[in-house]
Amino acid sequence: MQSSLIGIVLLLCLISTTAGAAAQSWRALTPAQREALAPLVQQWDTLPEKQRDRLLATAKHYPRMTPEQKQRYHERLPTWSKLPPEQREAARKNYRALEKMPPDKREQVKQRAKQEQEIKDRQSASGVTATPSSSQQ
Amino acid sequence: MITELDPNKIAQLLTQSTRQIDAATLSALAGARRNALTRQSVHSPVFALTTGRWMLSLIPHSTQQWAATGLLAAMLVIGSGYWQHAKEQQISDLDVAILTDELPIETLLSDSHRT
Repeated sequence: MQSSLIGIVLLLCLISTTAGAAAQSWRALTPAQREALAPLVQQWDTLPEKQRDRLLATAKHYPRMTPEQKQRYHERLPTWSKLPPEQREAARKNYRALEKMPPDKREQVKQRAKQEQEIKDRQSASGVTATPSSSQQ
Repeated sequence: MITELDPNKIAQLLTQSTRQIDAATLSALAGARRNALTRQSVHSPVFALTTGRWMLSLIPHSTQQWAATGLLAAMLVIGSGYWQHAKEQQISDLDVAILTDELPIETLLSDSHRT
């Protein structure tokens, strides 16, 4: 009785520790997952397991995204996947802070970001290097 | 009628009675005494230190105690797994929002939005 109980507890511990470790190779992905994560085809198998799990979790939302969101998602995936974990965590923290802002303040931030992006795009089109503050880390 | 009994007299009577008991009964009584002493020694504390006794008291003895310990451990494992899953779900939702929002990622990597 005692040994069987210990066995059950150990089994539960094993299940809980392996539950999150479901990372798959690119070949093992479903067609829907491959479509969502297409920009990462080259580096997918080199990404850490935890990062792959998290990206797979985001890929579940892909079918419900608007065409505009899908485009942004695809454009940002390579940049996002190359960021160090600390920077991704910082971005999450900043996004949470942004969500807590009053709508008008949030809108101001978005407008300013949009303007900065436009300036950057114009600069890159004319061959001028973007300012270091607005460049990606 | 209640008479006052002398403890010494009682002891004397008991000693005399013991001498009258047959060998088989005496042997059975001796065996029972040995069994009782063996059982007592099992329950007596092994550790002389207080910490040893305390540690011993933490180890479940009965099946019910083992079952309760197992149930508690299982609840802890399941609860921890559920909490971890909920945390990962939150991160995933946040990542989707960051990757699809009209706000560029670069803005979130700088401190400009705080001003």
